[in-house]
Amino acid sequence: MNVVWQNLPVILGGLGLTIQYSIVAIILMVVIGLIAALMRLSSVVPFRWTASAYVEIFRSTPLLVQLFFIVLGLPAILPVNQWFGQLMYPILAAALTLSLNEGAYVTEIIRAGILGVERGQKEAALSIGMTGFQTMRYIVLPQAFKRMIPPLVNQAAQTIKDTSLLAPVGVAELVYRGEIVISATFASFAIWSVVALLYFIVIFSVSKCASYLERRLQVDKR
Amino acid sequence: MISVKNLHKSFGHHEILKGINNHVEEREVVVVIGPSGSGKSTFLRCLNGLESVTSGEIQIVGMNLTDPKTDIHKLRQHVGMVFQQFNLFKHLTILENITIGPRKVKKISETEANATARELLAKVGLPGKEASYPDELSGGQQQRVAIARALAMKPDVMLFDEPTSALDPEMVGEVLQVMKNLAAEGMTMVVVTHEMGFAREVGHRVIFMDGGYIVEEGKPADIFSNPQMDRTKNFLAKVL
Repeated sequence: MNVVWQNLPVILGGLGLTIQYSIVAIILMVVIGLIAALMRLSSVVPFRWTASAYVEIFRSTPLLVQLFFIVLGLPAILPVNQWFGQLMYPILAAALTLSLNEGAYVTEIIRAGILGVERGQKEAALSIGMTGFQTMRYIVLPQAFKRMIPPLVNQAAQTIKDTSLLAPVGVAELVYRGEIVISATFASFAIWSVVALLYFIVIFSVSKCASYLERRLQVDKR
Repeated sequence: MISVKNLHKSFGHHEILKGINNHVEEREVVVVIGPSGSGKSTFLRCLNGLESVTSGEIQIVGMNLTDPKTDIHKLRQHVGMVFQQFNLFKHLTILENITIGPRKVKKISETEANATARELLAKVGLPGKEASYPDELSGGQQQRVAIARALAMKPDVMLFDEPTSALDPEMVGEVLQVMKNLAAEGMTMVVVTHEMGFAREVGHRVIFMDGGYIVEEGKPADIFSNPQMDRTKNFLAKVL
């Protein structure tokens, strides 16, 4: 136990980074997913094509490979370190790659949510003179959003877990810190237990909050 | 009020409307009857652009619907529509269902929109239901709210797409009564329905459609008691 207490500040520092990357990625994945979902459902063919290509590329390659490619591979052919700074580029690239990867799954969640809203709802909105944007904003998305909460929470939990893949590209998050502590103390079992427990606490809290939110929405509004 | 010239509508290779010509006067109540698949609902949905027109011309509320330069959203503000499945906004209260159009589309203040909505709810016989959600209401009540929602935009024409077909029989009457009142006030109405009693009693003119054509039209009394075409006779023999 002593090993754990002594190294807790290092590990909690890693947890802090894990949470920061998670928050950024969860916000960005929803923004990216919403834009890409609307593009996939658009009547403009180049939009549809671009969004589909994005989803397929990010879903059909492993996140770890995407991270290696963008964080470590791109600087070999592009002067990205000069553009964004030697220290900034890996941070930005890691956060963005994670967001793009998760965003691809969110695109499909949001698209399915939108398609799940009855066609009659959209027609009724159009029939009172709403534009396509107003129909989406006031009628379709609010109804779609409620159906999307469970899969989105699922995806958020996945995103938090996926931040562990940032360790191999040099982000000193929870897993990275755990490895450092273990290499110094050899307390493999104790440290991995703590790391796993911390992930559990964070993700479990997120899903509890989400089910509370979901119940509230069910009661207040249909 | 409405003028339709040589309207054709196809879904893929399947032609649903094969050349419709008609003219609806202001304050006229036109009832469209015909077997299912005759194209009557498609015809109605073309009148507010919910279905795109394959060819032909539609003039409605002083605008040319088939001109691509026409602002279709502006046009639809003047053309109310009531659907078979009511299509109330499920996530909004009854009051919000009625006010969202005036508020978001016409940018009318909340106070004014709420006042109008309450008047309309009283008019359709549903005072006190403001805070309910659609799924707390019966089908007949929902359909009356849907009529109020359309009226809240102060339309010049009302289109009804089989408004009583999804209702339990005991609720048909209350919806038809609201429509009768509306007709008596002088609203221009195009009603697709299977309610022959309504057609006979309220309609100024009955259109019988079959196979994508208008087969016969005329005063309800003439159509119902003295149909000229065999297809009309066959249809009426089955439904009356």
